[in-house]
Amino acid sequence: MSADSKLEALYPFLYGKKQDAVAMEAALRESVQRKAAASIEAKRGFFEAHGGEVVKAAEAIAGVYRNKGRLFTMGNGGSSCDAAHIAVEFEHPVTAGRPALPAENLGADIAMMTAVGNDVGFDHVYLRRLEAHAQAGDGLIGISTSGNSGNLLAAFEKAKATGLVTIGLAGMQGGDMMRRGLVDHCLVVSSDSIHRIQECHVAIYHILWDLVHTLLADDRGGLPRAPVELAGGQQQ
Amino acid sequence: MKYVDEFRDPGKARTLFEKIEELAAQVTRPDGRPLQIMEVCGGHTHSIFRYGLEGMLPKSIELVHGPGCPVCVLPMGRVDDCVALAEAPGVIFTTFGDAMRVPGSRKSLMQAKADGADVRMVYSPLDALALARAHPDREVVFFALGFETTMPSTALTVLEAAAEGIDNFSVFCNHITIIPTIKAILDSPDLRVDGFLGPGHVSMVIGNAPYDFIAAHYGRPVVVSGFEPLDIVQSIWMLMKQFAEGRCDVENQYSRIVPEAGNNGALSAVAQVFELREFFEWRGLGSIDHSGVRLRPAFARFDAEQKFAVPQVKIADPKACQCGEVLKGVIKPRHCKLFGNACTPENPMGALMVSSEGACAAYYNYGRFEPVSGDAEASAELAEAEA
Repeated sequence: MSADSKLEALYPFLYGKKQDAVAMEAALRESVQRKAAASIEAKRGFFEAHGGEVVKAAEAIAGVYRNKGRLFTMGNGGSSCDAAHIAVEFEHPVTAGRPALPAENLGADIAMMTAVGNDVGFDHVYLRRLEAHAQAGDGLIGISTSGNSGNLLAAFEKAKATGLVTIGLAGMQGGDMMRRGLVDHCLVVSSDSIHRIQECHVAIYHILWDLVHTLLADDRGGLPRAPVELAGGQQQ
Repeated sequence: MKYVDEFRDPGKARTLFEKIEELAAQVTRPDGRPLQIMEVCGGHTHSIFRYGLEGMLPKSIELVHGPGCPVCVLPMGRVDDCVALAEAPGVIFTTFGDAMRVPGSRKSLMQAKADGADVRMVYSPLDALALARAHPDREVVFFALGFETTMPSTALTVLEAAAEGIDNFSVFCNHITIIPTIKAILDSPDLRVDGFLGPGHVSMVIGNAPYDFIAAHYGRPVVVSGFEPLDIVQSIWMLMKQFAEGRCDVENQYSRIVPEAGNNGALSAVAQVFELREFFEWRGLGSIDHSGVRLRPAFARFDAEQKFAVPQVKIADPKACQCGEVLKGVIKPRHCKLFGNACTPENPMGALMVSSEGACAAYYNYGRFEPVSGDAEASAELAEAEA
C-alpha cells in the first residue's frame, strides 16, 4: 500500500474519494435500523413511565374546551413547528365526526414576533401575545427540548398568573420548566438526543389530541344535544 | 541536553520576539482585530502556558487554543461507557493516566476504581497486553484514546495480540483524527482563524501533505511546530513571515522529528487495523464526519464495543459548562462562569480542567486569571481600566 493510499484511507476527503458504494449503503442501512430502534425505545420508555400523566394532560385540555376556552401553543425552532402542528390538528381534525376546536400557535405572526423581539426582547414574544389574547380557563402548551427556553418560561409565568391551564413538553431532565414548577402538567422525555425527544413529542401530542376528542365525545354521549326537527315540523 | 537547552535559550527567544514584533508592525488586518493563530495540540497549549509565551507576543497576535487534547474532547457519554466496561465482572480496565479523572455523568474512572472496579493506569497499550498475558482468566480492556499520534501503538498492539492468539484482550477505541476537525473548524462560521500551528507529533506519523488543503483551499498558512518554547516561537515567526510576504504555505519547523512523508510503518499498521467511522462525536463540537476510527471487522474479536454491551448513551454537558466554547476558541477559560470557582483541578466540572493539556487547567495552573497582552478582548478591558 503506498503512502498516499494509507493517507487516503484516513482522510478520504483530501483525495476526493467517497466511500465504497456497497459499504456505504450497508453502513447507512445499519444506521437507519439503529436510529429507528432508539426512537422506538425512547417512545416506549416514555409512555411506559408517563402514560398516566398523558391522560391527565388530556383531561386538562378537554376541560379547557368544555369551558369554551381556547388552546395556545408555543415553541422555538423545531418545537415551533410542533406548536404549529398541534394547532392544525385541533383546528383541522382529520377524523370525521370530530369538531374543529380553537387552537392558536403564538409564533405564527412573524410581524408580532419581530416587533416584540426587536423592541422589547425575545423573551417577551409569547407572553405579549398572551397578554392580548388569553383569558382564565384557556390552555397553553409549550414545547422545549431543553426545558430552558426563556421566552417559554416567561409565557408560562404569565399564563399561571392569568389562570391558564398549562402543559409543557420537554426533554433531557426537564430543565427549568420542570424545576420551577411553572406548568401544571410537565411531560419530560428523558433523552439527551434532540431528535429522539422531538420524535416523542410528536407522538405525545398526536395521542393528546386523540384522547381529548375521546373525552369530549364521551361528554356528548354520542348523540346531538340540540333538539332535532322531524319531518312535518315536529321537534323530538 | 540536546534538543532541549538550545530550544530554551532566552537570548534566542528575545531575538525571535523582536523579529515577531517587527513583522507584526507590517501586518494588520483590515478590520483591526488581532491575527488569530490556532494551535490544535494539547502539548502546544501546555508549553505556551508553561513558558508564558502568550504574554510576550505583541497585542496584534492572539493565540487560540483549539481542540488539541483528546481527553478534553471526549464526550461524557463515552466516559460512562468506560465506567460501564470497568464495572463489568472480570474486567481489568486499563487507561492512560490523564483519562482517569475525567467526570462522567455518574462518576469518573478514578471514582469507579475507588468503588471497587479494577482500573489500572498504563503507559502504553503494550502494558495492557502484558496484563492480558499475565491474567488469562480476566478480560483486559484498553482505553484507546488519542489522535493519530497514538493510533499506531494501538494498531501494533492489536496486531501483536492477533499474532499471539491472545483472546482476553480488547480495545475500547476512541481514536480521533485532527485533519477533518481542522476542516470543520475552517468551515465553521463562528471562527476566524488566520493561521495554524500544526501538531508536531501527529505530523510525525502523517507527514505534512495532509495539511496542504488548508493553505491551498482555505488560504491559511500552516507551520508544523515542535514543543519546546523556541520551537513554538520560531513557528509563530515563520507564520508572521508568511503573512508579511503574502505567502500561504505549509512549512515544517519540526523537521528534526517530522519526516515530510510521515512514518510509513506507522501508517501501514493504522491502515491495516482501523477503518473510519461515519462520524464521531466531539465534546463541544458535535459530530464530525470521518473524524474517528474503529477496528476493522477482521479484528472484531479485539473490539470492546463488539465484545461487551456498551451503553452508548449521549449525555449533555452540565448546563453551565462552557468547555465547548473554549474548545472552539470563542471564549477564553477565564470567561467561563465556572472557572476557578465551581471548576478547579481539584474539582473539575469539565474535561478542559481535568487534563493537564486542557486549556482551562493550563490557565488555572499558570495563573491566567488576568488578561495578557495577546488577548484582544482583555486588551480592551485593560485599556478601559487604565482610562
